[in-house]
Amino acid sequence: MDWWMGLDGILIHLYRITGWTLPDYFIGTLLLAMIAVVIGDFTTSLVYLGNRSYFRKLNSRLGELHESSMVALHLKDTPSYKAVNREANDTFGMLFFGMFGLSASYLWPAFFALAWMQTRFEGIQFPLFIKNWTTNYFLTFLVLYILARIIFWKLKPYLPYFKHVLQTH
Amino acid sequence: MLKHKRVYKISLFILIILIAGLLFGSLASGAPVGNNLGLEGKLGAAIAKAPAGTGVGQIDPNAARGFLGIPGAPKVNPIVAFLWAVWVGWIFTTVGAFGGIMAGVGHMTVFGLGDYAKGFSKTAPELGKVMTDCIRMSNQWLVGLSSGVGTLNFLKAKRLAWPLGLALGFGSLFGGLLIPILTGGKVSFSAYQGWFGIAVFVVGGFLLYETTPKGQQGKKAAKAAAQAFEKSIKEKSDIGNEGIKVTKWGVTRIEFSFFGVEFGFNPIIAFVGGMVIAAISSFLGVGGGFLYVPYLTSLVGLPMFVVAGTSALAVLASMVMSIASYLNFTGAAVDWALIGTELIGVFIGSMIGPRTQKYIPDVWLKRIFVVLALYVGIGYFSKGFFGAPWVPM
Repeated sequence: MDWWMGLDGILIHLYRITGWTLPDYFIGTLLLAMIAVVIGDFTTSLVYLGNRSYFRKLNSRLGELHESSMVALHLKDTPSYKAVNREANDTFGMLFFGMFGLSASYLWPAFFALAWMQTRFEGIQFPLFIKNWTTNYFLTFLVLYILARIIFWKLKPYLPYFKHVLQTH
Repeated sequence: MLKHKRVYKISLFILIILIAGLLFGSLASGAPVGNNLGLEGKLGAAIAKAPAGTGVGQIDPNAARGFLGIPGAPKVNPIVAFLWAVWVGWIFTTVGAFGGIMAGVGHMTVFGLGDYAKGFSKTAPELGKVMTDCIRMSNQWLVGLSSGVGTLNFLKAKRLAWPLGLALGFGSLFGGLLIPILTGGKVSFSAYQGWFGIAVFVVGGFLLYETTPKGQQGKKAAKAAAQAFEKSIKEKSDIGNEGIKVTKWGVTRIEFSFFGVEFGFNPIIAFVGGMVIAAISSFLGVGGGFLYVPYLTSLVGLPMFVVAGTSALAVLASMVMSIASYLNFTGAAVDWALIGTELIGVFIGSMIGPRTQKYIPDVWLKRIFVVLALYVGIGYFSKGFFGAPWVPM
C-alpha cells in the first residue's frame, strides 16, 4: 500500500495550513471535500460526454411521450393515455439507471476521501462550539462536502473546462 | 490395599478426563478476545466478546486484517470488486433493477462476506448480526444512495407532484427510520439471506412476466397504441405548462390539477405506501425505485413525467434516513474504499451498457436474468431458511 502512504503524506498537508489544530481540521476537510467534488465532476463530465447522445435521446423521447400523454388526458382518451404512459415508463427506467451511473461517477472520490479520513480520524470527536456537542469525521465531511458542492456549482460557469461541459448539456 | 489402588486409578482417570474436557471445552468454545482490537463502536464491542481462535466463528487476533479491519475476515480483492461492479453497472443500464440484486450478491457471496458473517451465528451471534447490518448498509450505500442522488435531476426539472411527494416522503422517512431501529443488531445473516432470496424471486417474477407471450403482447400493443396516438395528434404544444395547483385539501383526499387535468389521492394511503416501501428497501438494502414507480402509477394514475420526480423524492428521503439510522442506531461500519471502488466499476459498466444494448435482444437478456434470478433466489432462500443451499453455491 505504498501509494496509499504516499497519498497520506500529501493529503495531511491540507490539514497544516494555519497551525491551529481545530481550524486546520475544518479547513483541511473542506479542501479535501473540494478535491473530491472537482474530481467527481470531472469524471461525470467524461461519462456525460461519452453518453451524451444516449441521454439526449432518452430525455427528448420522455418529453415527447409526456406531451402526448397530456394530450390524451385532455381528450379524455384513457386507453391512449395508459399506452403512452407505459411507453414512458420504459424510457424513464432507462434514464433512471443512466442517472444512477452518472451519480456513481461523481460520488466515488468522496468515498476514498472518507476511507482516508477513517485511517486518520476514526474515534476522534470534534467540538461543534454549541454547548458540549461533538461530531465525528463522517458528519463533518458530509456537511463540508455539501458546502463544497454548492461553492463549485456557483464557480462552474467561470471555470474553463467545466464551463464548456455545462454549455453542452 | 488393592481397593485403595483401584480408587486411586479411577480418581486419576476422572481427573484426566476432567482436565482434558476443560482444555478441549475452552478451545472449542474459545475464550473471548477480550478487547476491541482497535475497532470502534458496536463492531469493536462484538469482536471483544467473540471467541478467540483460528476456527470458523472465531477471531484470531494475530491474523491479517480483512474486511472492516477484522483480523481473519475475507480481504476483498479490489480488482474483483471493481470487475463485479462493472457487471452490476452494465446490468443496471440494460436490465434495470436487477443490478441492485447483483450488487447484493457481490457483497454476500462473491466477496465471501456472507459465509464469514454466518460463521458467527452460533459462536458470536452479536458479531454475526453487526456484520449483517454492515453488509445491508453497504448495499444501500452503493445502490440506494446513488440512485437517490442520481434522480435529483428529476427534481431540478420540477417534475414533482409535491402534495403526493410530501405524503409519500414523510412515509418514507418514517419507514427508513423504523427498520434500522427495530431490526438493527437483531437480524441474523441467515434470516437476511432468506428474505433477500424472496426479493430476488419478486424481481425475477417481474422480469418473467415481461418475457411471457402475454407480457410481450401487452407491451407491443401499448407501443403500437402509443405510436398511433402520437401520429394522430398534430398540435401537442397547445397544452402549455400549467404545473401543479392544489384544488382540495383534506385528511383523506387531496386533489390537484396538472396541465389542467384533475388528479386525486388519499394522503393516508400514500403515507402508508411510502412507509412500507421504505421499510422493505431499508431491510434489504436496496433503493426501492422499482416499487415506488408502479405504486404511484397505480395509486394516482399520474403521468410518468411526474412519477419520476415524485418517486425520486421518496427514494432520496428513505435513503438518507435509512443510512443515517444505520450509522446512528446500529453503529454499522462501512468499508469506504470498497464502496468507492465499486462506484468506479458501476459508472464504467453504465457507460458500456447503452453501447452493447443493441447487440442483445431485450427479451433474451431478460430471459437470461430470469434464469439467474431463479438460481440465486432458490440458493439464498434455501441457504437462509433451511441452512443448506438446494443448488450449488
